[in-house]
Amino acid sequence: MSAGNGVEDPRLQQLVDGIVRLASGALGSRMTPSPRGDDIDAVITGVNLLAEELEYIYSDLEQRVADRTFMLQRAQAELEEMAKTDALTGLANRILLNERIQEAILASADSGTITAVLVLDLDSFKGINDSLGHGAGDIVLVEVARRLRSSVRATDTVARLGGDEFAVVITGSSTDEILLIAHRISEQLQDSVRVGPETVWAMASIGVCIGSSGYPPEALMRDADIAMYQAKAQGRNNVQLFHPDMLAAVRERLRITAELHSAVANGELALCYQPVVELASGKAIGLEALLRWHHPVRGLIMPDSFIRIAEETGLIVELGQWVLHEGVAQLGRWNETAPDLTGFRLHLNLSAAELLRRDLLEDVRDTLARNDVAPGRLVLEITETVLMSRGTAEEQILTGLRDLGVGMQIDDFGTGYSSISYLRTLPADTVKVDHTLIDDLVSDPQQQKFVAAILQLISAAGLKAIVEGIETAEQAAQLEAMGCLYGQGFYYSYPLPPEEVLDQLRSLSERL
Amino acid sequence: MVDLNTADGAKVEFRMSDDGVLLLRWLPGVQIEVEDARAAMAQVNHMCQQEQHAMLVDMAAVASVSREARAIWSIPCRASRIALLGKSPVDRVLANFFLGVHVPPCPTRFFTARNEAMDWLMAHV
Repeated sequence: MSAGNGVEDPRLQQLVDGIVRLASGALGSRMTPSPRGDDIDAVITGVNLLAEELEYIYSDLEQRVADRTFMLQRAQAELEEMAKTDALTGLANRILLNERIQEAILASADSGTITAVLVLDLDSFKGINDSLGHGAGDIVLVEVARRLRSSVRATDTVARLGGDEFAVVITGSSTDEILLIAHRISEQLQDSVRVGPETVWAMASIGVCIGSSGYPPEALMRDADIAMYQAKAQGRNNVQLFHPDMLAAVRERLRITAELHSAVANGELALCYQPVVELASGKAIGLEALLRWHHPVRGLIMPDSFIRIAEETGLIVELGQWVLHEGVAQLGRWNETAPDLTGFRLHLNLSAAELLRRDLLEDVRDTLARNDVAPGRLVLEITETVLMSRGTAEEQILTGLRDLGVGMQIDDFGTGYSSISYLRTLPADTVKVDHTLIDDLVSDPQQQKFVAAILQLISAAGLKAIVEGIETAEQAAQLEAMGCLYGQGFYYSYPLPPEEVLDQLRSLSERL
Repeated sequence: MVDLNTADGAKVEFRMSDDGVLLLRWLPGVQIEVEDARAAMAQVNHMCQQEQHAMLVDMAAVASVSREARAIWSIPCRASRIALLGKSPVDRVLANFFLGVHVPPCPTRFFTARNEAMDWLMAHV
């Protein structure tokens, strides 16, 4: 294009240069139109305006991208925060705790300092939740979180692992300082917590594990956990420092649990039977079935070594079921092989967990029917602690069993915390007096008076006493003189395998 | 006649015609920035008081209008319709950029003849 006079207009070159600059990305570049205001100036102005729009759109887009990026980063940070924070207490959660432990272990490798993990489990939280509701439970958890935070330094990490379990990571402190902090936390938790009109306590069992460089991070948590369980076992509301012996005990526990699982299926369990004797006649009026574990490698294992673990792991229900089926089946077999010996009852121990089995009543009824055993031939022994703390569900099952005709016996009387006034209302026919009460019976006149009083008390409550642990003729004679009707112990018979039981029963009858 | 002075000196003149058309004339060669546009709009609203008036904007020979200044005129004001008056191809480009890129708040057209612009404004008074 020319200015119309055949001479090239310099503005055209300026225009070309300007467009090249814009094309190279210099969007801020502008051309100056001439005062003429003709078509060429209009093109220059238009290009300027287009460049201006382009620059604006470009910068607007950049700004929007920056804004969105910022929002995304913030949202991501918030999500990460949420993912690593316990919503109720605002404490770190398990994920963040693990990160902090990893970081602390790495840092301790450089600095040579030690890292400690504390695991805390509240001792009576379930009771608070059950009796006052989850809202109250939440208030307690928030208060515990506050006390934990106030007991540690800002550099330490307090986390909630879930439920009523908390953890603290402490770095850069000495062993003494760490234990001081653990005890300070314990002290902080001794104070009561107000929940509306109620006052509750949220004390904790605390396990401490101290690790130096090279201690695997996951082992720190595991070992603090083990120490915490040790604190529970030591009576709760105390602090325990992890020691490698604890790990060995836990491994032993795990081994027993695993092997116990397969013991039933592998036929490693067996019952032996100890007679319950009428003191006056020496005649057996009952047989208590006692569980034995014939381990293929370790040989005979007594119940003391595995019943507690079975109770803690829930395996007790399976064991109890097996004992019921096997014991009643054996009674059925004796009925067939020795129809002359029917004057005794089978005593089976029933655990607290079994009493909560919904199908217990049905199982007992079916098992008795299947083996053609009258319900009156069966006595279930239940510890006084279980009977004392029975709830509605357990009460219904106990009533059902009694209605069926099954006998009930209070086991281990004298070892729990029975209220004497409750003795009359407990759903039982007989009471087994714990063997510890007759240990000094012969030599201690005071103990004689005490046992005599207990026997009278049981009699006054309309119940019959069976004293266990009778080992000598003197004890037997003394108890009989006190009016005790029944007894059990090595003096009469050791627990016997089933094949020896009938002979023993006949032999006891012949003592007369 | 009202002159609006900015730091750069007078850039625009205002006048209300006898037949109620507000006349706004940008002085030749001015570069209209956002402050100028904002001040001009305030003056328009001031002169119209509570009434609405047709407005003739003489933008012939304006050197440039910044993007921010053009955006100001997208805000509704007391003008009921606006005739943009220019004469050169440059004015036409400027006016149509305003009309095309921004949405005018009231009917707005570009004219190169004053009488046509006035006729269009008066036809709708």
